[in-house]
Amino acid sequence: MSKESLEFTEMHWLMDVLQNIDVGLVILDREYKIQLWNGFMENHSGLRPDEVHDKPLFDSFPDIPETWFRQKAEPVFELKTRTFTIWEQRPYLFKFKNYRPITGRAPYMYQNSSIIPLESIDGSVKHICLIVYDVTDVAINREDLTKANNNLTYLSKIDGLTELLNTSFWQEEFTREYKRSFRSKSACSLVLFEIDEFDKLNSQRSHQAGDEVLRTVASALKQTARETDITGRISGEQFAILLVDTDAKAAINFAERLRKQIAGTVVTLDETEFQFTISSGVAEFSSTFDSDKKWLSAANKALVHAQKNGSNKTTVYQNKAS
Amino acid sequence: MLVDLTEDQRDCYQEITNVAMGQAADRLARLLNVYVILPIPKVNMISASELHMALAGANTSDDVSAVCQGFIGSGIAGEALLVFNDASFADLAQLMKYKGPLDRHGELELLMDVSSVLIGACLHGIGEQLELHFNQGHPVVLGQHCHVDDLVKSGNHQWSQTLAIEIHYEIENLNINCDLLLLFTEDSVAKINQQVDYLLD
Repeated sequence: MSKESLEFTEMHWLMDVLQNIDVGLVILDREYKIQLWNGFMENHSGLRPDEVHDKPLFDSFPDIPETWFRQKAEPVFELKTRTFTIWEQRPYLFKFKNYRPITGRAPYMYQNSSIIPLESIDGSVKHICLIVYDVTDVAINREDLTKANNNLTYLSKIDGLTELLNTSFWQEEFTREYKRSFRSKSACSLVLFEIDEFDKLNSQRSHQAGDEVLRTVASALKQTARETDITGRISGEQFAILLVDTDAKAAINFAERLRKQIAGTVVTLDETEFQFTISSGVAEFSSTFDSDKKWLSAANKALVHAQKNGSNKTTVYQNKAS
Repeated sequence: MLVDLTEDQRDCYQEITNVAMGQAADRLARLLNVYVILPIPKVNMISASELHMALAGANTSDDVSAVCQGFIGSGIAGEALLVFNDASFADLAQLMKYKGPLDRHGELELLMDVSSVLIGACLHGIGEQLELHFNQGHPVVLGQHCHVDDLVKSGNHQWSQTLAIEIHYEIENLNINCDLLLLFTEDSVAKINQQVDYLLD
């Protein structure tokens, strides 16, 4: 083959490859009119090159936000620099439907794109090339991973049975709140409560009954507490609620409301009905507590007092130092 | 094989980077209509264990956001890392006339727009002087609102010592500062040194 015909053949091959490559290629002129549209674009959009040729991109694809896209493309014309968009910014540039019924789990094709300048002979940029990559698999895998990690984080914080915070995470939050209380001027109160005669309930009825009671308490607690309150199950039948921006008086009201609601609740299990009660200890934060443990033990003292005085009661811790 | 830089080579790299940075700053200035302050770039051979120090030295203890982009051309390859101080975004949004809410997504838009221009212009400038053309890969967001230490996973780097160019950008009268780190692959060092020697002759 002569040199010219070899070059011609190479050019022909190259054209064939560009037409068939699994990457979208679009050339736009200064008015954003489509000048080139390869096989990938045709296959996924369902529009033939002659249908889009010389038509403004934004007319054929109204889904593309014009201002946004121009912001990415103008520097390519003006500064001869390449710009890029990634799926984290916008999942797709062209809204192409998922085309894989078995392995495609996203409704649309996720895309990354590069916009590169095409210099004309005089060195100015009158055309730009838009290269579109299908990154659906990468995006889906990343989203799966994020979901799995979030789930693990949730599991590491939550008590499975009651869906309240577990001991270790509640303790962390409590320690943080203790430190914050020192700096803040607003009151903060701790309510500690236990189910009365829980061991007896477990042994005389069943562990299922015990579990049902714990769930009942948790749901009552979720109804009574505000979203900002930090509620946790800190041991078998012991629960703790940290009431932010709440003084002892309001905390007693809260504890009493909870106690009455629980005392009035009838639990039904295997067609038998029964009732149970709780006892609470309340302790408002005081700067005389020199550790978070002191605060917790103050609430615990109040709780033990309530239990010793006949249960189904609320006791508030009186700080002798203050 | 340990390659070290001669004084001449280091000076030459600094000169090349200066010119490239100037071009990048000029483009940024045209895009944003501001004056960009350029200090002298730092050119060093660093070891894998020093990468973290280079990053940490580049920025303060504030939270940062970062984009990384690979480049390759004529057997020379590397990655460009752009680290933005999170405090910069408010002023940046104002400059870029960004209208949307400045949430995580808005910041990502700004990060991508600025990194495209800065990295692209800097690489183009260096390439032009060394008579090389660099092809850029797709940018990767390394992290948003994270500590600079968490950007790059430590250990397990497949190289021992390589060429690093650090550039610190600041914008006059505004609270915007960012660092651009160009890190070449170990294999590229000998080749790029050759190109530099050719310029020096």
